[in-house]
Amino acid sequence: MQLLWQVLVNGVLLGGLYALMALGLALIWGVLNIVNLAHGALIMLGAYVCYYLFTGFGWDPFAALPVAMLVLFCLGYLLQRYLLNLVIRAPMFNTLLITFGLEVVITYLAQIAFSADFRTINPSYAGANFPLFGATVPVVRILAFGVALALTVALWLLLVRTRIGRAIRATAQNLVAARLYGVDPRRLYALTFGLGAALAGAAGSLYGVVSQINPYIGAGLTAKSFAIAIIGGLENPLYVLVGGLFLGIAEALTALYIGPTYTDVVSFGILVLVLIVRPTGLLGRTA
Amino acid sequence: MKLAQQLALAAIGVAALATVPWWGSAVLIQFGINALILATLAQSWNIIGGYTGYPSFGNSVFYGLGGYGTAIAMVQFHLPFAAGLALGAMLAVLFAFLLGLPVLRLRGHYFAIATLGLAEVMAAIVSNLEIAGRNVGLVLPLLKGDALFFELSLGLLALTTLVVAWISRSRFGFGLVAIRENEEAAAVMGINTTLYKVLAFALCSVFTALAGGIHTYWITYLDPDSAFDISLNVKMIIMAVFGGAGTVFGPVLGAFLLSAISEVLASRITSMASLFFGLVIVAAIVFMPRGFADLIRRFREVGWRYFQENVKAHRL
Repeated sequence: MQLLWQVLVNGVLLGGLYALMALGLALIWGVLNIVNLAHGALIMLGAYVCYYLFTGFGWDPFAALPVAMLVLFCLGYLLQRYLLNLVIRAPMFNTLLITFGLEVVITYLAQIAFSADFRTINPSYAGANFPLFGATVPVVRILAFGVALALTVALWLLLVRTRIGRAIRATAQNLVAARLYGVDPRRLYALTFGLGAALAGAAGSLYGVVSQINPYIGAGLTAKSFAIAIIGGLENPLYVLVGGLFLGIAEALTALYIGPTYTDVVSFGILVLVLIVRPTGLLGRTA
Repeated sequence: MKLAQQLALAAIGVAALATVPWWGSAVLIQFGINALILATLAQSWNIIGGYTGYPSFGNSVFYGLGGYGTAIAMVQFHLPFAAGLALGAMLAVLFAFLLGLPVLRLRGHYFAIATLGLAEVMAAIVSNLEIAGRNVGLVLPLLKGDALFFELSLGLLALTTLVVAWISRSRFGFGLVAIRENEEAAAVMGINTTLYKVLAFALCSVFTALAGGIHTYWITYLDPDSAFDISLNVKMIIMAVFGGAGTVFGPVLGAFLLSAISEVLASRITSMASLFFGLVIVAAIVFMPRGFADLIRRFREVGWRYFQENVKAHRL
């Protein structure tokens, strides 16, 4: 019972971070209809921004996180404005391939710039933890979970309450109608992609704190983000949060009861099952 | 050029290629085997991705099953190579039918991602199977005969291309194209879309599995990561799209061109090969999204404006 409780706590904490990883992917997918295969590579870049601010300037990783978000926002904005907007009306398959090409390029450049070594962001409080009803909770994990949760809610508020958010949602629903109401899709698409990239940057910073990073983590993180976005559904950031928590707990339970080598079977098995049974996600409206 | 003329030309090309093992260097023959196998993979993907319009990321599953079928038959049961190939192909077809039925109901991104998920699941399952050597993999008996593997790969590519040529002219192929263009309309016209899609999936699985089996016996080693490698799947797609998906010779052309380019780059500037690969994908999608075959056809008429028009057609 004690063990189960600890595993559940771990799963929930991991799930929050998973949700933040998938959030940017889901936003870009839902609004721009681009499945961004370079999403994991953007997460990796965010982790390195945080890593170099931490080791080079001695910044606290949680203070470096907004900077990583800003850097990734600019990169994402430029990528969409000057490259992806050129192919946005091509068949969906072409946008899928071009983001794969970007993933290859980003990974290669990262490997040149940062070397292939494993790195960790290790603040002084990395080993600290506290008990919670008998389970041990590492401080960095609960902090990462809190930031992930706050950013998810912030994105939800942005989409629901602000003018920009309304423009984004309107464009996702009907591009032509949004244009008639004065939305400039070129800028709005760039802005949305930038937001998605900024979320990837935040996820990367947190990932660097709780795990190890190297230039090749991107592809695996993209696949995981897919699974989460699909399981939750693309319509609402809060659905993605549920997807992340669901997968985090499912993986933790699998590792406990079936074996750690089966976590991928379970997460991608769930992905395929959800796609076949409910392609709009567990919480999404049925088409 | 008519298809018959093209096929005649291709037959001459195959005959010329078949002589390579007699005069080519060992390096050239090995490069040739790799290029021929990649071309077969791109050509098989062409059946489901190019003609039917279902962008499969699960072809690496067929490739892996073909490889594992061959390896298990030869290592665990000491059967001959041909029996291994047959077992691999059977496994792949079985998989194509069983999982094709539910997965082929999905469209677009969802199909792509479901098949991607299947590839991940297969890799994870196989790495837990005792008979498949778990995540260590299997080592096959060594056969020193690059010439034989070259001819086998060439034969398989020729067979696959013939089947694709038949598809491009047959009632079955027109049905697939109709599904690609508009599935509802195709169904209304009386095409049994489920049957057609599953048959296309199964057909593509056979050739992919055979290529996987040949490649596995050639390199005499197999592990889950290399057998169900997603980036190999992406490679087949890119080669098919670069050459021209949905055409008979495009994927072969694309595979040969990209293999040659990356081989030259890898020998000159080793570390740049993957960067170049990424840049080629990005540039090709922006400037020639319909592939090399379309470029050749249209470039004579419109010249450099061809690239401009492509960008104009798809930008926001």
